[in-house]
Amino acid sequence: MIRLENIHFQYPKREALFSDLKLHVPRGQWVSIVGPNGSGKSTLVKLVNGLLSPDSGTIHIDGTLLDGESVSDIRRRTGYLFQNPDNQFIATTVRDDIAFGMENRCVPRADMKQRIDAIAEQLGISEWLNRHPASLSGGQKQRVAIAGLLVLNPEIMIWDEATSMLDERSKQDMLLRLRHLHKNQGLTILSVTHDAEEILASDRAVVIRNGVIAADMSPIQLFEDRNLAWECRLQPPFSLALSLELREKGMDIGLHHHEEELMRALWPSLHVNK
Amino acid sequence: MDERMVMGRYVAAQSWVHQLDPRAKLTAMVLFLIAVICADYSLELAVITAFSLVILMTSGIPLRRYGRASKPLWPLMAFMFLFYVLFEHNGDVWLSIGSFTVTSEGVLLGLYAVWRMLLLVCFTSILTFTTTPIELNLGLEAVLKPLKLIGVSPQQWTMMITIALRFIPTIFEEANKILKAQASRGADYEDLKLKEKGKLVVTLLVPVTVGAFRRAEELVMAMESRGYVLDAKRTSLRYLTWQGTDTLFILLFIVLTAGMIIL
Repeated sequence: MIRLENIHFQYPKREALFSDLKLHVPRGQWVSIVGPNGSGKSTLVKLVNGLLSPDSGTIHIDGTLLDGESVSDIRRRTGYLFQNPDNQFIATTVRDDIAFGMENRCVPRADMKQRIDAIAEQLGISEWLNRHPASLSGGQKQRVAIAGLLVLNPEIMIWDEATSMLDERSKQDMLLRLRHLHKNQGLTILSVTHDAEEILASDRAVVIRNGVIAADMSPIQLFEDRNLAWECRLQPPFSLALSLELREKGMDIGLHHHEEELMRALWPSLHVNK
Repeated sequence: MDERMVMGRYVAAQSWVHQLDPRAKLTAMVLFLIAVICADYSLELAVITAFSLVILMTSGIPLRRYGRASKPLWPLMAFMFLFYVLFEHNGDVWLSIGSFTVTSEGVLLGLYAVWRMLLLVCFTSILTFTTTPIELNLGLEAVLKPLKLIGVSPQQWTMMITIALRFIPTIFEEANKILKAQASRGADYEDLKLKEKGKLVVTLLVPVTVGAFRRAEELVMAMESRGYVLDAKRTSLRYLTWQGTDTLFILLFIVLTAGMIIL
């Protein structure tokens, strides 16, 4: 459980970003953090990881108060994936980069090797282990970055616009992996995103506007509120946009965000014949 | 990365020099430096040159590659030569125009300085050419360990070197992108005069430097989020093994350096 209570935060020489912010995220929930640019989404997740400290208020992760003493333990349980894959690699080979977090946690060498091989196989990156991270494509880099986090067995995964710089195929691949992690490993996920599909795959959407939680709802509800979605610079996927449009025109076939579901709702006979 | 950037790059090959422990290579480089500084005569320099050539030729890397590594320092070598020629007035006068005199000693000392510099650059290139950045870092960390006694952290230095090495290709890539963007808007370096080229370099340096600072900030966050704490105890995926050939390699350099000091 992530619990933020009465958070006040201000960047130096700027107006207060958060004043009295509260957020509770139950264990195993996938929460999308959305909002206009500069609303404080990334700041919020950086506070959860202890990369920034609130001016006042408390943050508890699974009952542990986040402070100077507990921050390294909390970071051990939290994997943070940044927007630009180029800025999060430290080592000169993929293998050494995956090992970096384990080296910091004093994992024995033999254990490290075993865990690197296992995660590389799981994510299909074994062939790149001896390559320089700079020689990989954007999607490949993010996969390597995920490997570097998963190898530490985190309980919470934070994605800070991690798919925003990727091409469509790499984005789909990343989303598939996130779904898999959420479903099979029960990870708690906080995802800062502008991607409609990523939001729709999550359990809950939290809208941050001017440093306050403007809305806390299901992803579908967020897209149903067209003004709010527009304000957050969100564009629903075609299927959902069409479902919403049809409902407004008096043809309620339910809200569907997958093409297959939409087709089934529109043409049941088509599905039966198939 | 820019293919012309030869200095400091690892060249994969299967040679006995590649197999050596980086600690042995680093220690040998220090001994070599002392030997070159102590060599005062052409005979001593010739001995060091012959010694270096044997090692360079058996390193599995073409000699011309070592030559290319010294290329960026040619202007410095030319300056050193001129400095001796212009300011050393001992020896026979070979040429005299007004207050300007060229003496035999000036030319000889200038040549010696260039010779020493060439030896140092070509031979020290063997360290980076035959050692991967990771091995080099591990070696440095081990060699610098005694500095802990005076409060200097070898881990900090090696981490800085690792990050620098990691970011060289990224920064080159970024600089290339900016160059291409400038070229696409008509600012092509090839067609410009020297003064205008200088101006364009400034417009290239500013975004690259700002970008590097931005990257550094995010990198610090990425490192912290993955549990890095400055000077905290860490384990290492890599380890070094000292073998008999490493001892032999060091001994060769001890003999060479001792010889240069005694002679």
